[in-house]
Amino acid sequence: MYLTPDEEKLYDGEMGWAYQVAMRILVKLGDLYGADRLIPVGSAHISGVSYKTIGDAAIDFLNELVKGDGRVRASSTMNPSSFDPDHVMEMGIPDEVKEKQSLIIKLYEMMGIKPVLTCTPYYIERPKAGSHLAWAESSAVIYANSILGAWTNREGGPSALASALIGKTPNHGIHKAENRQPTVEVKVEAELGDMAEYGALGIYMGRILGEDIPLFSGLQDPEEDELKQLGAALASSGMTPIFHYNQRGKTVKELERVKVEQRDIEKTMEELSASMDRPDLVFIGCPHCSLKELETVARMVKGRKVRDDVKLWVCTSRYIRSKAEKYVGMIEASGGRVICDTCAVVTWLRDMGVESLMTNSAKTAYYAPTLNRVEASLAPLRKCIEAACRG
Amino acid sequence: MVLEMHGRPISPGRAEGVALVSRKPLSFLGGVDPETGVIIEKNHDLRDECVRDRVLCFPHGHGSTVGSYVLYSLVKRGLGPKAIVNVTADPVVVVGAIISEIPMVDHIDIGRISTGDLVEVDGETGMVRVLRFRGEK
Repeated sequence: MYLTPDEEKLYDGEMGWAYQVAMRILVKLGDLYGADRLIPVGSAHISGVSYKTIGDAAIDFLNELVKGDGRVRASSTMNPSSFDPDHVMEMGIPDEVKEKQSLIIKLYEMMGIKPVLTCTPYYIERPKAGSHLAWAESSAVIYANSILGAWTNREGGPSALASALIGKTPNHGIHKAENRQPTVEVKVEAELGDMAEYGALGIYMGRILGEDIPLFSGLQDPEEDELKQLGAALASSGMTPIFHYNQRGKTVKELERVKVEQRDIEKTMEELSASMDRPDLVFIGCPHCSLKELETVARMVKGRKVRDDVKLWVCTSRYIRSKAEKYVGMIEASGGRVICDTCAVVTWLRDMGVESLMTNSAKTAYYAPTLNRVEASLAPLRKCIEAACRG
Repeated sequence: MVLEMHGRPISPGRAEGVALVSRKPLSFLGGVDPETGVIIEKNHDLRDECVRDRVLCFPHGHGSTVGSYVLYSLVKRGLGPKAIVNVTADPVVVVGAIISEIPMVDHIDIGRISTGDLVEVDGETGMVRVLRFRGEK
């Protein structure tokens, strides 16, 4: 891979250990994937923030980077952490965990990474179409590529961090136009009535696609929030960093075609739904809610009361929460909680006595049984709210 | 007899040690106990073996990218392998070897190496040598 003289200096350690190790990561990964050079990134988004996910493992390394004067050279943001500091008691977070989690966030902050603590950094600053990024967090990656028209590979925590420090990423994969083209048409013959069903479509196709890039045809005026669910689910059960979509009636150039029927969606919904009388937790907000989703939930719970034996969690970023005081008020008046900085999947649900959850997020329904060891049930938003509320 | 194999250099450095060879992919996150270096991955052929000071040979990594940090923290605590030999390097193990500064080579037929062999790994040239086979004097 070609390096400029300035990049050579970083690689040789002339600017210190932190930049040297970051350059080594980028150059080696670039070599493995056949990149020709490094290209500048508009932003980096770093995963590996929740103490539940990374444990003690990363603390030593982050400490060394900070000591080695590592400071980011691209605008950088952080994924969610393991708890909301405004709801520590309720979430049953022990002091030791609080300290470790705070330390992790502080170390990232000392490198200049903004503690937005959300998986939806694009609501805070929407990347420009055509801009190159180095994002981790698979749901944000697929949203950026597919809905925002930005260009990012599916980075891991360490490679996104290395790109943040250097401000560049190896030029390969999805950074090249020829690798972004659809390779298979997915003709959706099912009516998708709710975000949960868009998610079910994502889980179903993610399992089938392998390395293929899908072009979904037959979707009916999908909203960004519905596409967000489709992408998050697709990236959970599959590997693709991008999908394309087409409105009904538009023609598609000749591609291999698969058809998805109503029964495929129904079967996937069933498979992601453990039977439960009443969930311990109803969780909305994976990925974190948009302003519009908060509004929808607020209007559904208005004037109703959340049952005493059920928790209702609506997770979003602190940024969106600050824009939505009215809706937050409506949700909290019903007994629900608007939780920031974290979500159900990256915290310790069982320690809170949660053994079952209902959600409108296919990604959560897919992961929670293994990552949280809880029963999960995927259901449309309206059904989730019915399960949470009395009467 | 010395067996020489030429692979692809991934992470620089040279090390010699006793091989620990697996036929299965390995996830460092959840698969290796960061407190002891013992492999705890379910149904793994190296379950209950310790990676400490071994030349760890396995086809490739799998699982979360946090695995890179687990490898780093093992090495920092003196519990890490001396070197890594893979069939196909994947980003999790590559980044882990680079940040923890242990030699790594891939594109090696690890079927030629057995647990207990004395192996030398050169991460600069990509050379992997079996210096002494298990049971040899």
